[in-house]
Parts: sequence; C-alpha cells; structure tokens
Amino acid sequence: MTSGAEPLLSVRDLVQEFVVRDYGGVKGGVVNAVSGVSFDVWPGETLGIVGETGSGKSTLARSVLQAPRPKSGAVVFRGADLVTLRGSSLLQARRHLQMVFQDPFGSLDPKWKVRDLVAEPLIAYRVGDRAARRRRVEAVLELVGLDPAGHGGRRPRELSGGQAQRVAIARALAIEPAMIICDEPVSSLDVLIQAQVLNLFEQLRAELRLSYLFIAHDLALVKQVSDRVAVMYLGKLCEVGPGEAVYRQPLHPYTRALLDSVPGAATARPAAIRGEPPSPVHPPSGCRFRTRCPRAEQRCADEEPAMRELATGHSVACHFPLVPVAEVTVRSEERIGETPR
Amino acid sequence: MNRVSTASGPLLEVENLRVSFPGRRSELRAVNGMSYSLYPQRTLAIVGESGSGKTVSCRALMGLLSQAAVVTGSARFRGVELLGLTDDEMRRHRGTNIAMVFQDPSRSLNPTMKVGNQIAEAVRVHQRVSKAEAGQQAIELLRLVHIPVPGRRFHEYPHQLSGGMRQRVMIAIALACRPKLLIADEATTALDVTTQAQIMDLLLELQAELGMTLMLISHDLGLARSCADEVIVMYAGQIVEQASTPQLFARVRMPYTQALFEAIPRLERPSHAPLPVIGGRPPDLSALPAGCRRLPRDHPAARRTRTRPPLGVLASH
Amino acid sequence: MSAPLPDLRPAPDAAIAAPVRKKARGRASTLRIWIPAGFLILLAFACFIWPQIYPVPKPVGGSILEAGLPPFSPGHILGTDPNGNDVLSRILYGGQVSFEVGFSVTVIGLVVGGLLGMAAGYWRGITDTSIMRVLDVLIAFPALVLALAIAEGLGPSESHVIWALAIFSIPATGRIARSATLAIREQNFMLAARLSGTRGWRVIGRHVIPNILPQLMTFALLGFGIVIILEGALSYLGLGIPLPEPSWGSMIAQGQQVLSAAPEQALIPSAFLFATVVALNLLGDGLRERWGVR
Repeated sequence: MTSGAEPLLSVRDLVQEFVVRDYGGVKGGVVNAVSGVSFDVWPGETLGIVGETGSGKSTLARSVLQAPRPKSGAVVFRGADLVTLRGSSLLQARRHLQMVFQDPFGSLDPKWKVRDLVAEPLIAYRVGDRAARRRRVEAVLELVGLDPAGHGGRRPRELSGGQAQRVAIARALAIEPAMIICDEPVSSLDVLIQAQVLNLFEQLRAELRLSYLFIAHDLALVKQVSDRVAVMYLGKLCEVGPGEAVYRQPLHPYTRALLDSVPGAATARPAAIRGEPPSPVHPPSGCRFRTRCPRAEQRCADEEPAMRELATGHSVACHFPLVPVAEVTVRSEERIGETPR
Repeated sequence: MNRVSTASGPLLEVENLRVSFPGRRSELRAVNGMSYSLYPQRTLAIVGESGSGKTVSCRALMGLLSQAAVVTGSARFRGVELLGLTDDEMRRHRGTNIAMVFQDPSRSLNPTMKVGNQIAEAVRVHQRVSKAEAGQQAIELLRLVHIPVPGRRFHEYPHQLSGGMRQRVMIAIALACRPKLLIADEATTALDVTTQAQIMDLLLELQAELGMTLMLISHDLGLARSCADEVIVMYAGQIVEQASTPQLFARVRMPYTQALFEAIPRLERPSHAPLPVIGGRPPDLSALPAGCRRLPRDHPAARRTRTRPPLGVLASH
Repeated sequence: MSAPLPDLRPAPDAAIAAPVRKKARGRASTLRIWIPAGFLILLAFACFIWPQIYPVPKPVGGSILEAGLPPFSPGHILGTDPNGNDVLSRILYGGQVSFEVGFSVTVIGLVVGGLLGMAAGYWRGITDTSIMRVLDVLIAFPALVLALAIAEGLGPSESHVIWALAIFSIPATGRIARSATLAIREQNFMLAARLSGTRGWRVIGRHVIPNILPQLMTFALLGFGIVIILEGALSYLGLGIPLPEPSWGSMIAQGQQVLSAAPEQALIPSAFLFATVVALNLLGDGLRERWGVR
C-alpha cells in the first residue's frame, strides 16, 4: 500500500440514523443508514465504495462531511476530528475536503453563472483579492477542459450534462482540496461522456495528487477508478481490499453476487441473487446479508461478523468467507494500488 | 437466449421510419430512416445514447407520440401497418399484440390504486371477464412474475413495494393479455445491478415460456451482449450497426459501436487505465446534415490504432 | 449491412438549451404579460403623473351648483358626484390611494414576512417554531375586524389601513416564503454552497432569495389585488380613507345612495376597481407561466 504517513481521512465506527415519521409526526421507526463503518484513505489514494440502493453509501458520504453530523463515530481529516468541531473551526478543518454530486444540474444553483459558481469557495474562504480569484477561476476552468471566456458567463441550463459536471469539479478544485468525495459523479451521464469525465478524474488525480472517495453502484466503474474497493451492504462494510484482489478473489458472498450480476460478464452467470433487500428500519440480526446469502447458517443470525484481515490489505466481515482462512495466501508481489511516489 | 428461428416471416417489419418534431426554428429529426426486421421469438436489443432515437422509434410503433410528431415510413406487425392507425385501432393492438414496459415503475403505476387492481384493469381492457375473474388472472400473473405470496401482494399499494417488485408488477400488467411482442424501454436502468439481473432473467424466462418476442431498449451494450440475439446500434436517429450478437462482439465494429464498447468500464481492465474515447457529443438533432457522410480519414475513430486521445479532445464537451 | 456513419466530428460548441427555450415562449405568453402590465402602467401614470402636469379639477371642494352632472358634460368627462366634485378627478386621486395602500402593504409583507419565512424555513428548529407561532397569531386576527377596531380606536386614516392590512399580509407572505425555502433547502446546490464555505445569511441572500423570488413575486401581485379590494371594502364601510378624501370604496358607498337615479356614480368606481384587480391577476398569472412557478 502506501508508505508510513498518517491516513488523510480516517473514519471510525461511523453511525448515522434517521427517524422515520408516520402520519401526524409520530415516530415510526429508525432507519439505520450507516451502522458502524470504519476505513482509511491514504494521501494520493482512491478508495472506491460500491453499494446498491439502500446500502447507505450516499449517507456515508454526507456524514463524513458532517451534513448532517453523524450520530456517533469519528471522522479524522488531516488530524482534526470533524465530528467534534463546530462553526468556523469546522469550516476551516473541512476546507480541503470537497464533494461532487450525482446530478450536475442539481448541485449548481440555476440562477448563478459558471464563473460565480466556481468562485464561491474562494470568496467564502477569503482567498486572494478579486483579481487573484478571477485568475484562479480561469485556471481551474481550463484545467477541467472548459473555456473561461465561452463558458464562464453561462448559466447551468445552458450547459450539457458533461459540461455541468465539469463546472462542479472545477468548483471542488478551486480551493485546492486534498480529497474529493465523489457521489455517483458519472451515473447520470451518457456512456461516452462518462468516459471523458472519468478520464478527467484520472488526469486530475495524477496532476494534482488528489485523493478520492469514489462512491458508485457500478462495481466495474469503481474498480476502474480506485486503488482499493470497499463493498457496502445495508449500512455496513462487507469487504475491503485492493481492486484487483476483490475482483479476482472476492471473499464475501455479496461481492460474489455483485460480480455475477454484471451484465455481459465474461463468465457464465449462475442464478442471480435471490430475494429483496431487507428494510433498513429492521435490519436482520447478526450478519445483515444472511437473508439472501446462500451460505448462511445459524451462527450468522446469532453473531455479527467482525472485519478480519485475511490477506494483506484485504479484509472481510463474514463467518464463512468464500475462501477459507487457511487458503488465502499473502500476495506480497501483487501490491496493486501502490501509489507511485 | 433463444435460438429458435422460424420460416413464417418477420413479426415486425420496419421500413424507413422517420420521426420528426416541428420546432420553432427548424424541425427536430429524432428518427432518420430506420429499417429492420424482427422475427418471432427472437430478442432484439436497440442500443444508443440519449438522443439517439431509440425510445422515440418504439413509441412511434406503439402510437404513443404526441400529436405534433410527424411520422413517415412503414412499420408492419404481421403484415398490418401500425403507423397511422386511429386511437381505437391502436388500442386493440396494444396489450394483445404489443406491450411495453417503461423505465421508472414509480411513475407508471397509479399510486392510489392497489397493484392487483391495476393488473386486473389491464386484463379487463382486452377481455370481457368479470371483476372476480380478472382478479384471479391478476394473481396468476403475479405468480408468473415470481412475486411471492401473490394473494397478499394483490392488495398492496405501489409505495409498499421495492423498485424490483414494482417493475415486476409493470411486467405483469404488460403481460395481462399475452402480447406477442414485449418492448422493454430501459426497463432495468433505474434498478440496482442485482435486481437488474433478476428482472432480465425473468424476462428471458417469460419469453421462453410464453413464446414472446422481446425488444430491449437500452444504453447498455453489456446488457445487449448477455441477453439479445440481435443488436441494433443507433446514433442521431440512424442505425449505424446491425448484427447478430455473436457477430457484433467477435469482429471489428463500426467506429461508433467500438467507441461505445470501449468506453464502458470493465472489470478485466486494470485500475486507472484511461478509457479510449472520442470527442464530441450527441449531435444537435435540429441541425443534422442532409444525406450521409463518411468519417474523414483523419478522424481519431477512423483510425484503427488505439492511441490515447490528446487531452485537448476533452475540451470539446 | 449498416448505414453510412454520420459525422462524428465534435459539434461546434453552441449553447444547447438556450435557443429552444427562448423561442418556445412565443408571442402569446409575452402578450399575456405586457397587456395587463401596460394597463397598470397607464393607470398608474394617469393617477400619479397626469394630475401633476394637467390641470385636473380638484377632487374635493366642489360647488353644489355643479352637483350631479351626467358623464360627457362639458369640463367633466365623467360627470360630477352629489357634492359637485369631478368624478374623473376623484377616480384618479382615489386610484392613488389604492396603489399606495396596495404597494405599501405588499412591500411590508414581502420584506418582513419574506425574511421571517426564509429564516424559519432555512434554520428550522426553534427558530422555525417560534416564528411560525407568531405568524399563526397574526393570521388568526380577522383583518377587517382588526381594521374596524383600529379605525374606531385611533380614527380612520390611510396609514392605519396600511398597518391593519399588513398584519394580514406578513403571515401570508411568510408562509409562502417558508414553504418555498423548505422546498429548495434540500436541493444539492444548497448543500454544495454550504460545503463551499458560504454561511447563514449569505446563503439566504445569494441562493435562497434568487430562487424563491419568482414564487414570492407572483404571490405578491395576487396579494396586491386582494389588498386593493380590502381597502375598498374598508373605505366603503367608512373605516378606511376618511371623507371627503376620495377612495374607490367610499365612492361606491356614495354611489349606492343614488343608485336608481344615477347608477354611474357607483358603477364607474366599481369598474375601475374590477379592471385593476383583474389586470393584477392576469399579470400574476402571466409571470407565473413565464417563470415556471407552480
């Protein structure tokens, strides 16, 4: 993996819940959106989080950013625990952590012009004077492949999906973040435009030495873009490991099911996963995947599996992982995702 | 996939279909001369990006376009011309001959009506049966689409069901009168990948069981590859490639298809590999060039070599 | 056999949605805005500016010798009222009152109610609860009864009418502002603005206001018409503008007394009242359509 150093982002036991209100405002139940998630992201690394609807991945992203503050847990970014901070100290600590959303048009104020949108973080954090800000806006627009003169004065509805997303990326880059959280940033774009924007992410990563927390529901997409991949199901992480390792030797049955469900997969598809995802208001006891898992046994209902590292950097939370513990070899020669220094 | 071929002639024959919408300044040409044949019990996938015309062309077949649409050409279902039918005549075709499943089940289902009643309603549109009988058929259909405990689900409302279940209900409604041709318009796009696989399995199983012909509309080439017998690739309202699935994925393809194919992230590719992609975006459909043009020889996609596109190409979109 | 490939060269980078959007608006929609707006502008000009530049007879102090003249009499194109005052002049000065009251109440409602509503909708929690309870109290006051009480207690005058009606306008606007703010609060661009570091009132000023302004403006225009009617009602009851100052409402009341003999005394101010309110409603509808407010 990466050398020495502290992780850039360190999340521990993050819990986020929402109260569901019935008619009349009566408390109807609690959605356990994120239930004890822990992971690290190292400088210059891309960690991908893959999960389906209801997995809690988007809630996870927002909780990391304290929007809203998680119910419990720690989010240490560059040494400061964001959960304990308020007001302007939170703003300062969070300065180098930015986000790009799924719907480019939804994340840009429709009444604003492109150059004002990109300048907003500069103004809020009081970076430079007006001239310096203008130069920075132009530089960053060019960096994402837009023309400051041509696009700068436009409003979002005058842009295409790909262009709008580039504006969102430019805004995130304006104050020189160390890390960008990307919540399904290309899901609403056409295939070819998607590829262009992904290439842009890669280019920026290399040029600016950015880290990403890349969230998506498409496993192939996440693997393409990430060094390490984390698989999330119903509020918990099932498996975390280097992208290649998770693909070639998945340890969690849910990861296996995701891989098998990819349309056009080279391997012949066995029967797809059974059943429906359970409700996050009443998650199954013990291992949350057990209701749909072909390998589930009594132990899975009684005891929640802890995350165990079975190979270098490759962990799984399962009582009966796909590859028995004894057989997993430590692949020291296959250090995928080592960031070039 | 179904490999049964038949000598009894095509089920659907589309010839030079054109659809345009009048705009303020110039007309918007959504479909620009589309021709294909679909044989019984085959599965056809029509693949394209947004604006390619794939959805508009199918809605033209079903008579679902607005009054403003100008539709020319021919689309014959078992010899009967579909374009230009009156509403009544079209209604007779819909359901018994052709049925359609749409993308977003939460928008297509009536939120205030029990799902069982919605299916029963579809049954009674085409069959003269009592409410009770239609209800029975509805339960049967729920069972057919593998909804567990159909008797109980009959009485539930759409918001009580998950996305995958709602799509199964949509399929049940579409199947109410055993159509010969089922068109699935991005039917799985809004679903999770595991649910998507389940629904696709269901559709293929139903096809085999009921002897249906299936038309899948999607932007996903991977889906076409795993589920379809034949694939049509559309761009700017025209068919740019048409081939059987094995052929399409075995040999060298037309540049646009190739570009689509390579732009999809694939598990086998190594991490951080740049995706080979051409510049440009789906064209402005109101400013299409008249006639056809060949790719200029110096266009990146015209060359067979796979060089990394210069970063300047990104600036165009 | 595939069709020849269309040209895949990068398309020239033209604005995509803009041309279609502008053209689609069409002439009908523009007319629906400008016809009522034109009427209102004309009327405002006639009421406020015309008397400054043209010697219009005074609306008060007419001599009894000229009482009850019919329309189209020489020097009095709309005739005179039972007190000998020129009707047209009273219409114009009465129109001033209607516009002034309407405008003041609407502006007070927009500013005070709008700010309170946005604060409640944006910050939620205890701010929301307390502001909404205050507004609920205000809206529970029946406006006319309150105006009656004020008029009885403090004597009728234009400013009293304005304050009485403002008590109704503030909560009404406040509720609209609050629900509009709630609607956009959850949008991603609001979250993005906060993540960019913009805080509190600056978010409200630069993001909330521009986005809810269309809704507020169309509501304000409709409210303008309602306020004019309410002022007319108050004056009709003798609780608004004190006589002999002209107001359309009191003119209708006076005309009621001579309804059988000279119906035009009541009909003329009624017609102006009607036309003004209809114009305001049409303008509000036209703008709502243009701005896509639902």
